[in-house]
Amino acid sequence: MSETMNHPLLEAVNLHKTYRMGSVDVPVLQGSSMQLYPGEWVAVLGASGSGKSTLLHLLGGLDTPDPQGGEVLFKGRNVSKLARGARNRYRNREVGLVFQFYHLLPELNVLENTLLPGMVGAGIRADQERAHDLLNTFGLDHRLTHRPRELSGGERQRVAIARALLNKPEVLLADEPTGNLDEDTGAEILELLKQEHEAGLTILMVTHDRTIAELADRVVMLHHGRVEQDQSLSVQ
Amino acid sequence: MSEAAAGYDPRHVYHFLLTSRYLTSRIIPLLAIAAVALCVALVIVVVSVMTGFLDMIKDSGRTLMGDVMISYPVTGIPWYEDLIEEVEAMPQVKAAAPMVETIGVLRMPYPRGGVKEPKMVQIWGVDPERFAKVTTFGDTLMWSEVPESAQYEVAHDQAYGPIIKTLDRAQRIAILRASDWEDTTGMSDSQVANLAGALTQPEMYEHLRYVMLNGGDALPKILQDDQRIAIQQVIDLEREGKLPIEGDLVADGLSISRNGRPGIVAGIHVSDANFRDSNGEYQIGGNGHWWLPRYEGALTTIPVDATGGTLEPETVIMPFVNEFSSGVFAVDEIRVMIPLETAQVMMHLDAAEIVDEMDPSQVIGVEPARATMILVRGRDDIDPLDLREHVRVAYQRFVDKIGMNHPGRSSPPVEGINPSLRILTWEEQNAAFIGPVEKERALMRTLFSIVYVVCAALVLAIFWAIVYEKTRDIGILRSIGASRPGIVWIFLLYGLVVGIIGAVIGLGLGWLITANVNGIHGLLAQPPGWLAWSLAGLTVITLLWTILRLFTGRILPIMLGIMIASILGLLTALVFILDAQGGVVIWDPAVYYFSEVPNSIDLPAAIITMIGAVIFSLIGAAIPAARAADVDPVKALRYE
Repeated sequence: MSETMNHPLLEAVNLHKTYRMGSVDVPVLQGSSMQLYPGEWVAVLGASGSGKSTLLHLLGGLDTPDPQGGEVLFKGRNVSKLARGARNRYRNREVGLVFQFYHLLPELNVLENTLLPGMVGAGIRADQERAHDLLNTFGLDHRLTHRPRELSGGERQRVAIARALLNKPEVLLADEPTGNLDEDTGAEILELLKQEHEAGLTILMVTHDRTIAELADRVVMLHHGRVEQDQSLSVQ
Repeated sequence: MSEAAAGYDPRHVYHFLLTSRYLTSRIIPLLAIAAVALCVALVIVVVSVMTGFLDMIKDSGRTLMGDVMISYPVTGIPWYEDLIEEVEAMPQVKAAAPMVETIGVLRMPYPRGGVKEPKMVQIWGVDPERFAKVTTFGDTLMWSEVPESAQYEVAHDQAYGPIIKTLDRAQRIAILRASDWEDTTGMSDSQVANLAGALTQPEMYEHLRYVMLNGGDALPKILQDDQRIAIQQVIDLEREGKLPIEGDLVADGLSISRNGRPGIVAGIHVSDANFRDSNGEYQIGGNGHWWLPRYEGALTTIPVDATGGTLEPETVIMPFVNEFSSGVFAVDEIRVMIPLETAQVMMHLDAAEIVDEMDPSQVIGVEPARATMILVRGRDDIDPLDLREHVRVAYQRFVDKIGMNHPGRSSPPVEGINPSLRILTWEEQNAAFIGPVEKERALMRTLFSIVYVVCAALVLAIFWAIVYEKTRDIGILRSIGASRPGIVWIFLLYGLVVGIIGAVIGLGLGWLITANVNGIHGLLAQPPGWLAWSLAGLTVITLLWTILRLFTGRILPIMLGIMIASILGLLTALVFILDAQGGVVIWDPAVYYFSEVPNSIDLPAAIITMIGAVIFSLIGAAIPAARAADVDPVKALRYE
């Protein structure tokens, strides 16, 4: 583990990102850098508006940094400079995204939502077995044909995580995965993430909650678009 | 990954999956499908009716007149049999038939009483056998037997008719006077005799029957014993319900005569007693009482002499032997057919001996019979315009030979000298009518290409709304790696499916409306009571439902309830008003030339319409699809 730790899996290098709100340019990220090493669980901690979601979107290849605004490197390759097709593949295969509001497709049932990345990626019969395994593990085997609206918040988030993991990505990027859940349910989700982490999944989790962040191996503090503090917390 | 190789299952391609789910779990796509279907149905109905209308007009050329006609009105063409021989010698010609056309006044059998309605008619004197070879005359004849509704009356006619014929003038006068008919009081005998002459045979025997049953003392003075016995026998049979029904009142086959006597075949709308019910079926007025072949008609026309002056009117009383329905109202309401020879005699166009002016007993020649029109039917593969040129050549040949064949008098009219001589195709003859209809159809097509644009605009608006609603889903799909073309494809596929389903439903709907257009028209003309009452019932049910919803406190069901109840209420009111006013007639046969709305679907036009609808649905979907692809996934994900 320590050998691979030498090369970051995912790396943000001096990222700048500015959003235009009407006629005003709002700088969100102003030179953020961080590294995510294989097998790590890193929490990005920051107040709302600190730019932590934007950082996650850039790392996930959903958005690109400003011109000359730094780069996102995945295994040393610049994700922002990838061709469109390659960037789609990156989002599909290399990273899995989980959001605060689950973002399931309401017209599809649990199994179909889970299979979606497989269908998008391969365009042919997706890996049903993998989807069933994941949903079994997450305790959703009795919910396969249910629509998202018939599920509880915790169940929805578990489906979202199953979807994110379908194509066996190396990194899971989670944006406030418990932000919309009560404490107990949130704890269940975190327990689930912990299990996956122990099974070898690299996780980057964005949160504003220090107690949740403390579950991670390492916490990156984001303040006004800059990384203020990058520290390893003592794991319990 | 053997499963991946196992193949292509459309259920597991996300475009198909999402398209089918979006279609089946949302109301919006139903609106889009309904919009497309309505546009398609609208175009199909309008184009089909217009095309059917034009086709009927063009077909009616053959139905009524053949393809080409040579006409020289009023004075007619002499030696026309020579002309027909010349024309029929042309290989392009199937048959030719002579006819005499004029106008006249026909006295109808209605109303009851001594004052009958006269009617202006167009008289066609035709030789039925030859006429039927040029036109579809045989197919247009209405009656091959006595209709069900008239059988009772016809049985009476047959039973009483022979007795009525035995009555003399004095007896007729006495019967009318004895039948308590107040019109006869204060009338002189000759006036009553005139009245008796005006009455139809059924009216006459109704009076006779009345006198038989109520006259008592007067009878022996009026009727002879054998007459009275005969009448009593008929009345007895009638009471026992045993009056025999033998339907021989209709002319045999094509002939325009009955028992060797020339008759009249009238257009179905010549008699005002005939009408069409809301199912579009012909009905005879008075429950069969006014069935025209029961009666005789007096036909009067004014002949014209060789110099173009008028002569004394000629009147011939003839039985109505049949009726015809050409489908063209303007023809059916005015035209009567009589035998060619009868018409020639009435018009003084028959063959006549020419006598010496000094000594009328000296016959110095024969004036040939004339025909005012020669109708020509071409072979099926001949264009009417080509046929016209061949007929023109034949006519010239006929004129050239006439001096040799029949030296002396009665030379036929010549093109260039006699301007009334015309050799025209049916379409040319009726250009004043066909032209505007063709223009109308072109106008309709132009106007209705706008419907496509409306269709595209509707699909665009609806898909814009769908994309707007699905913005977050697009963000999700992009976040898990869906490509922009993939997103475009979802919505294009969606547009394609909406277009195809809409077009197919539209075809069905259009076909349904077109096929039942006469029934729908009939419903408007005579809205049935159940329609009004069931609409009223639905209105009340909707209102009750709405009132119950008031307690739920939700606005949408209340709004919907009020709207639906209002629409139903308005429809109910409309139906009741229509009913009270006797309905609306949109397709008035008097205006639209044909008595029925064309009801066959124009399949090529329907297919083009459907393809157009699919293409324009795709065009409508393309812009929202492109917009969907351009959605910034980050913004879309923030979108709640």
